[in-house]
Amino acid sequence: MTRLLATLAALGLATAALAVAALFVGSAPVSARAVVAVLTGRGTATPVDEVVVLSLRLPRIAAALLAGGALAVAGAGFQGLTRNPLAEPSVLGVSSGAAFGVVLAQVFGLRTGLLEALGLTAFAFAGAFVAGSAVYLIAAGAGGLPVHTLVLAGVIVGIFFSSAITVLISIVDFDRLGGVIHWLLGNVAPLPPPALGVFAVVAALGFWLVLGQSRPLNLLALGEEGALQLGVDAERVKRRVFAGAALLTASAVAFVGPIGFVGLIVPHALRMTLGPDNRLLVPTAFLGGGLFLLAADTLARTLIAPAELPVGVITSFCGAPFFVYLLRSRSARIAP
Amino acid sequence: MRRIVGGWRSVDLGRYLGTIATALLITVMLPAVSAAGFTVRDQTGRSLTLPAPPRRIISLVPSVTEILFAIGAQDVLVGVTDFCDYPPEARKKQGVGGMVAPSLETIVALKPDLVVATSAGNGEAVFTQLDRLKIAVYVVNPTRLHDVFELIARLGALTGREAEATRLSAGLSARVRAVAERVASLPRPRVLYVLWPDPLIVPARGALVSELLVLAGAVSVTAEGGDGYPRYSLEAAVAGAPEVIILASHSHGQGPMVREKWERFTALPAVKAGRVYTVSGDLLHRYGPRVVDGLEQLARLIHPVRP
Repeated sequence: MTRLLATLAALGLATAALAVAALFVGSAPVSARAVVAVLTGRGTATPVDEVVVLSLRLPRIAAALLAGGALAVAGAGFQGLTRNPLAEPSVLGVSSGAAFGVVLAQVFGLRTGLLEALGLTAFAFAGAFVAGSAVYLIAAGAGGLPVHTLVLAGVIVGIFFSSAITVLISIVDFDRLGGVIHWLLGNVAPLPPPALGVFAVVAALGFWLVLGQSRPLNLLALGEEGALQLGVDAERVKRRVFAGAALLTASAVAFVGPIGFVGLIVPHALRMTLGPDNRLLVPTAFLGGGLFLLAADTLARTLIAPAELPVGVITSFCGAPFFVYLLRSRSARIAP
Repeated sequence: MRRIVGGWRSVDLGRYLGTIATALLITVMLPAVSAAGFTVRDQTGRSLTLPAPPRRIISLVPSVTEILFAIGAQDVLVGVTDFCDYPPEARKKQGVGGMVAPSLETIVALKPDLVVATSAGNGEAVFTQLDRLKIAVYVVNPTRLHDVFELIARLGALTGREAEATRLSAGLSARVRAVAERVASLPRPRVLYVLWPDPLIVPARGALVSELLVLAGAVSVTAEGGDGYPRYSLEAAVAGAPEVIILASHSHGQGPMVREKWERFTALPAVKAGRVYTVSGDLLHRYGPRVVDGLEQLARLIHPVRP
């Protein structure tokens, strides 16, 4: 318990520090004094400084924190659920499913108003749900979910939904979907307040679902029979964790795009320091994921200013080597 | 005229009028009909020899299609791309597919004696394939406003409609001059032109739209933000404190929602003054005769004519 609190406090401090620092950097020439003036409401700040700090940087930081947290908790959830260290929304094809849902919603013209944000999330959730179920059905054999079968099933489902997205882009007028290719690389945008609100509520719901099952998830790691003997309703646990992780993935994909590897890097890094206890892992993953994605996004918007890199590119550059490393050396040892 | 426009702008306009003169000169010099055939040099400097002036042209470039119609050469046009939607009669021509990967089969079946393509927009593979099929390709690569005039002259020469081309150019350049003269003495507001909202793409150094903004009497806040049409950060665009925001529409949809995205920033001078406008990207991004319509529209938005 003290370890949990200590880790949460450390991560919380680091996240808060980075979030504040991120308010001060960007491609617009806003002086540190002007940022302080905008934040405190005292001193002299131009209207443009206000727009940059309050309408662009602040919501973007919030979106990065939420999305990173959501993806990391989804990763921890999928890893616990499948008892597979490589499980993660993008590896499992769940992100692609959600992305397909979002593109479909955009074909119907849904964007970022309150109702539209809800609709977008619903489509993303439906896509994530279908993709996740498909992976499970393909991979589940006689002896549970073997590592390689699961990853292969995820790749297959991911490719299927990526192709489905390509089909949609090809048959629908390009002008209506022109931004999609850019969005598919993963981009944190400054969301308007209603969309940010929907994002926060949906992510919180998913987080609550996974967090609530973190103890039984530990027992599930002993094997379903063992868990059953300890009085765990394995099916109920799996349903809830799956729903929670799918919700988290869907919300992140709906609002920032299918950003890969956050759900892989963050839970594993934490597992290396905290051990495999999901009760520690799930809450710390939320902060850790937020911290990681915020760092990546801050780089994305400053490295080549005034142009921007898609943040998904940065997480993939970090994540792909990490994935190889896990696959080759540690997959047996740090299995959840 | 120098007296009216004054300062550095007159230099700009002078250079631009000079290039029109060069373009008209090219008209006279361009085609060389000899016993061996009809030799032309395209806009990238490649020279190609045709057995005779082309009678069956396929245009893979919407602006070329527009120019051919404008100079009355539409009868030699036998094929167009799906993006060639102006004038409406262009739709009645045989379509050969998109610009990046047009259907080679359809192109071959149309038996063209010349395909006009652009180095900006048509896929690299198209050129190699057409070469392999021994179909003559005339490559255009317009980047500036004077290239529109050059293109008109070249296409006039290519189709034997020099007189019409000269007449068209003269009319267009008179209208460009009229715009430049009207705005010359007016204060130049800071303008943010949004070519594409997400990812944010704006006109920068060397872009046609940047040039048009200057001619229309504006200072583009993204003029020095890269080359051509770069991706741009929203923050840097906002930091330019634009007094006018101009959103390019792209034939369908996009309109109102994208406007909202900008109108959220109520502290921006442009939003406060209610000066967020929409223009048709088809006018301003194509190197056709309608670019002057686009310029006039820009000038009217940036410097409204008060009755």
